[in-house]
Amino acid sequence: MSRYVIALICLFLLVMQGMAMSMLPANLVYSDLLITPHWVLIFLFIIAIFFDRDETYHAVWYGLAFGLLIDVVYTGVLGVYMVTYALVIYIIHGINKSLHANFIAASLLAIVGVALADTLLYVIYSFVQITSLSWGTYALLRLLPTLAANMIFFILLYPLVKERVHYWSEEINNA
Amino acid sequence: MPSLFRRKRLMVVLVGFILLVALIGYSIRDRDSLSTPEKFLQDSVGWMQTIFHKPVSLVDNTIENIQDMFEVYEQNQVLKARLSEYKGVIQDNQRLKSENSELRETLEKTEGLSDYSPIQATVIARSSDRWFEQMTINKGEEHGIEKDMAVMTSDGLVGKVKSAGAFHSTVQLLSGFDRSNKISSWVVREGQDEAFGLIEGYDDETGQLLLEGIKLEEELKPGDTVISSGLGGVFPSNLRIGTVEEVTNDQFGLTKTAYVEPFADLFDINHVMVVDRAVETVEDKSPSEGDE
Repeated sequence: MSRYVIALICLFLLVMQGMAMSMLPANLVYSDLLITPHWVLIFLFIIAIFFDRDETYHAVWYGLAFGLLIDVVYTGVLGVYMVTYALVIYIIHGINKSLHANFIAASLLAIVGVALADTLLYVIYSFVQITSLSWGTYALLRLLPTLAANMIFFILLYPLVKERVHYWSEEINNA
Repeated sequence: MPSLFRRKRLMVVLVGFILLVALIGYSIRDRDSLSTPEKFLQDSVGWMQTIFHKPVSLVDNTIENIQDMFEVYEQNQVLKARLSEYKGVIQDNQRLKSENSELRETLEKTEGLSDYSPIQATVIARSSDRWFEQMTINKGEEHGIEKDMAVMTSDGLVGKVKSAGAFHSTVQLLSGFDRSNKISSWVVREGQDEAFGLIEGYDDETGQLLLEGIKLEEELKPGDTVISSGLGGVFPSNLRIGTVEEVTNDQFGLTKTAYVEPFADLFDINHVMVVDRAVETVEDKSPSEGDE
């Protein structure tokens, strides 16, 4: 049951990601600083940290599925988000094994994860020549604002879902 | 056991990499239409976006209306001053229109490149990924939308249809245009013939379009209007694009490049018209206006 709820939340966040870009005030979203919302990814980090146990990889599978969906709906270039999200969530899952799951650790992981994902996207897109931005401008104009905006989202989302996700995890383990 | 595990992980990485390259290769090439699963997914997400769009836009509009109310008086003054001006323009326009149609009748040429039939649509989402300047609109093939149609707001051209699903389609904005999306256009000047050029890209830093391939002897002034010529074979003519801001020689000194400020606001877009040109489009595989 909880697995479907997680999928539904992911879908909701994915839809909202695109809505936010068209609905939020234009001077906030479309200034010189380019912000990419990675809301689905952030939620999946929370799943990877608090829902998955050491030997389960639910978050990675969600990452594959919803990454592909983002590819189809928002970019049209298939496979990029799918592979990036799955890989980054796998890495975060791996690091998490050696950390104690609390707010500080989770937010550190989220920062590292979003930075890694956005950089990977940049690398892949510059290989297929969708972008020709230089590293310096990318880091300054895209990576830093994206990190800041997504951290704000993480801090808002964390208290809302953390207990719930933890509860689902216990429920599945006990069943 | 560890070596087997490591080998398995290596296999996954390799297979994943091959899959990635194959998928990118498949989707990045110029496709005529989306595959069926893609269309299905796009439409399902599109429906969800439409559902969420309704209440959010309601709130959004109310806030905007309240903000507008404070400016109503000043706007009213300006508009009143302009009204008399417009009356003259309307009369002129009607006279020219009837004259034009009469002349066309004498020439027995009823269809012009500027004829088009608009389809009204609402923007329901934008690509969350800023590498791609795309947005989703709530009309699709069922409403008559096809790939490469021009998309405009009341201000001017904003982009073209990148792909059409059954009920939703994706629009490539002018700010995401590159060398594979050219628009053949004219620069309208006072007292001279139109100068021809091609919109070939977008300058991210200045937010202006690049109009390239203008002949050296053509004199352009900042403020000249750029419209589409309709000669590219897909867009109708006379769609307003923007004004010339700056003219430079290109890097080889053979042609001129003009920086064009688009009329339309490419960020704050809510309602658009998709424009289908009435004249038969050149039915050829490669040279469509979108991908010459």
